[in-house]
Amino acid sequence: MEVISSVLKFIVNNSSRIMEYTGNHLSLVLTVLVFSLILWIWVGLLISKYDRFANSVIGLANILFVIPSISLFGLFVTIPQLGLGRKSAALALIIYAMMPLVRSVYRGVKSVDPWVIDAGKGMGLSPAQILYQIQIPMAWPVVFAGIRVAVVMITGMATVATFIGERNLGRLIHHGITRGSAEMIIAGAVVVSVIALMLDYIMGLLEKKVTSPGLRHRSEDY
Amino acid sequence: MLEKLIQLHQIKKVFPNTNIPAVDEITFSIEKGNICVFVGPSGCGKTTILRMINRLVEPTSGNIFIDGENVLNVDSDELRRRIGYVIQQIGLLPHRTIEQNVGLVPRLLKWPEAKITQRVVELLEIVGLDPAESAKKYPYQLSGGQMQRVGVARALAADPPIMLMDEPFGAVDPIVRGRLQDEFLRLQQEVKKTICFVTHDINEAIKMGDYIVVMNGGKLVQQGTPMEVLSNPVNHFVKDLIGDDRGVKLLDLTRAESLMTAVTESPAAANDCFCFIDAIQPVKMALEVMMKNDSDMVGIRRGKNVVGTLSWADIKKHIHKISGDQE
Ligand SMILES: Nc1ncnc2c1ncn2[C@@H]1O[C@H](COP(=O)(O)OP(=O)(O)OP(=O)(O)O)[C@@H](O)[C@H]1O
Ligand SMILES: [Mg+2]
Repeated sequence: MEVISSVLKFIVNNSSRIMEYTGNHLSLVLTVLVFSLILWIWVGLLISKYDRFANSVIGLANILFVIPSISLFGLFVTIPQLGLGRKSAALALIIYAMMPLVRSVYRGVKSVDPWVIDAGKGMGLSPAQILYQIQIPMAWPVVFAGIRVAVVMITGMATVATFIGERNLGRLIHHGITRGSAEMIIAGAVVVSVIALMLDYIMGLLEKKVTSPGLRHRSEDY
Repeated sequence: MLEKLIQLHQIKKVFPNTNIPAVDEITFSIEKGNICVFVGPSGCGKTTILRMINRLVEPTSGNIFIDGENVLNVDSDELRRRIGYVIQQIGLLPHRTIEQNVGLVPRLLKWPEAKITQRVVELLEIVGLDPAESAKKYPYQLSGGQMQRVGVARALAADPPIMLMDEPFGAVDPIVRGRLQDEFLRLQQEVKKTICFVTHDINEAIKMGDYIVVMNGGKLVQQGTPMEVLSNPVNHFVKDLIGDDRGVKLLDLTRAESLMTAVTESPAAANDCFCFIDAIQPVKMALEVMMKNDSDMVGIRRGKNVVGTLSWADIKKHIHKISGDQE
C-alpha cells in the first residue's frame, strides 16, 4: 500500500518530466511502428509470392532478432550517419520488428486454404485479385497476432534506447536503478506497461474492424 | 443438327513427376444444352478433365475447343469468367457473406450493383435458400448442404452458357441429394446450360446424364446415353459399375423422356393419352401413373407441351433389352 502511494506521489510530483518522457517514448514507438508495418508487410508479401526466398529471409529475421538489443543499439551509434539518438534507436527497433511481422504476414498468407484460392482462380480472379481479395483479407487474423506482439515488444525495448540518448521512460528506470529509487523504477515500468496495453488495445479494435466477421469465429475457437 | 459446344481431342495429361497419365488420350464432345456426366472410381481423372476445360490444368497434349475456338487462344481469366465452376471442395470465400460469394463473378464483370443484388436474390431462391435469411450470413454459419447450394448459385451467377460441376451434391445425405438432383434437373429444363458433371456415383450419372462418359484409370471406357450404357456395358468394369439391378436402375433413375416415343413420330398416340408426367420424372413414375389411372400409356410433358408418349409395352421392351444379355 505504501509503495503504491509513494509511486503515485512520485508521478504527481514529476508529472511534467514523465509527460515529456512519455511523449518521446510514444513518438519513437509510433515512428518505428509505421515504418515497420510498411516495410515488413511488404517484405512478407514478397516472400510469400517468391517462395524460394522465404526461408533465407525469415532465417535472417530470426538471427537479427536474437542479437542482444543493447549491442545493436551500440553498434548503430558507431555508424557516423546514424550516431547517438533517434535514428539509431528507430533503426534498431525496426530490425527487431522484422521477425514477428515478416513471419506472421508470410504465415498468414500461406495459411489460406488452397481450395479457396483455387475456387477464386476458377471463377476468373487474376493473381492480383486473388492476393487482394482473398489472401490478404484472409491473412489478417494471423498478421494481427504478429502486429500485436511487435507493438508490445517495441514499446518495451524502446526503454533500452535511453542508453543511446533517447529521453524516454527508459531513462526513468535507468535513473531509478542508479539511484536505488524503487518509486522511479516502478513508475517507469508502470507507464511503459500502460502504453503497451493501450496500443495493444487499439490494435485489437483495429483488428476487429479490418477482419471479416466470417473469420472471427476461428479465433474464438482457441 | 445438334451443335457440339465442347470438343476434346486426344487429350492427355501427365502431371510433373508422375509416369502414368492422369488422363490418357481422351476424345469426346458435348452437345449444346446437354448434361454430360463423367463417372468412374476415385482418381480416374474426372476432376483433371474438368480443370483442363477451364484451363486450371493445361493438357500435356491434345486440343480443347469451345464453340469451335481452341481454348488456348482465349485469355484464361476471361475464359473462366464465362464458364461456371462448382469445385469439388466447394471453396466458398469464408471472409465474404453468402451474398458476396454469389455476386463474385458478376462483380468481376462489372455489372451494376443493383443488377447484382437482384440476381443474387433470384439465385438464392433458385437453389432453395431463403435470401432474407441467408444473404448476410457467412459460410461458417451454413450446413454442408447449404454451402453446396451456394457453390452452385455462385457458378450460375453470371449466367454462363457452360457449367463445370465437380461432385456438386457430394456433401449431403442421400435424401437431400435426391432433392437437389431433382431441383437441378427442373432448373436445367429452363436454363438449358451445357454441363459437364462429375460424380463417382453411377446412380447419379444415370439420373443426371443426357450422356455418360465412363472412365477408369485415366482412360475412357465407354460413352453413350444412359440407356446405351445400361443396355450395352462394353466390359466387366462397366458391368460391375452399374451392378446387377439394371432393370431397377432403368425404372428408378432413367428419365421418362429418354424412353419415350417422340410426339413427332406418332402424333396420334399423344391424343389418346389422358394421364401425364413430366419429361424429367423417372420411368417408375410412368408406371405409377398408369396403374393409378388404369391406362397402359402416359403422355410426357415438358412444361405444358406434350412431347411424347410412353407405354407399358415400351418399358417392358426396354427392360428386356437391358436384362437380355445378363448371364
Ligand atoms: N496437381 C496434381 N499433381 C500430381 N498429380 C495429380 C494432381 N492432380 C491430380 N493428380 C493425380 O491425377 C489422378 C487423377 O486425379 P483426379 O483428381 O482427376 O481424380 P478424380 O477422378 O477427380 O478423383 P476423385 O473422385 O477422388 O475426386 C490421380 O491419380 C491424382 O493423384
Ligand atoms: Mg475429383
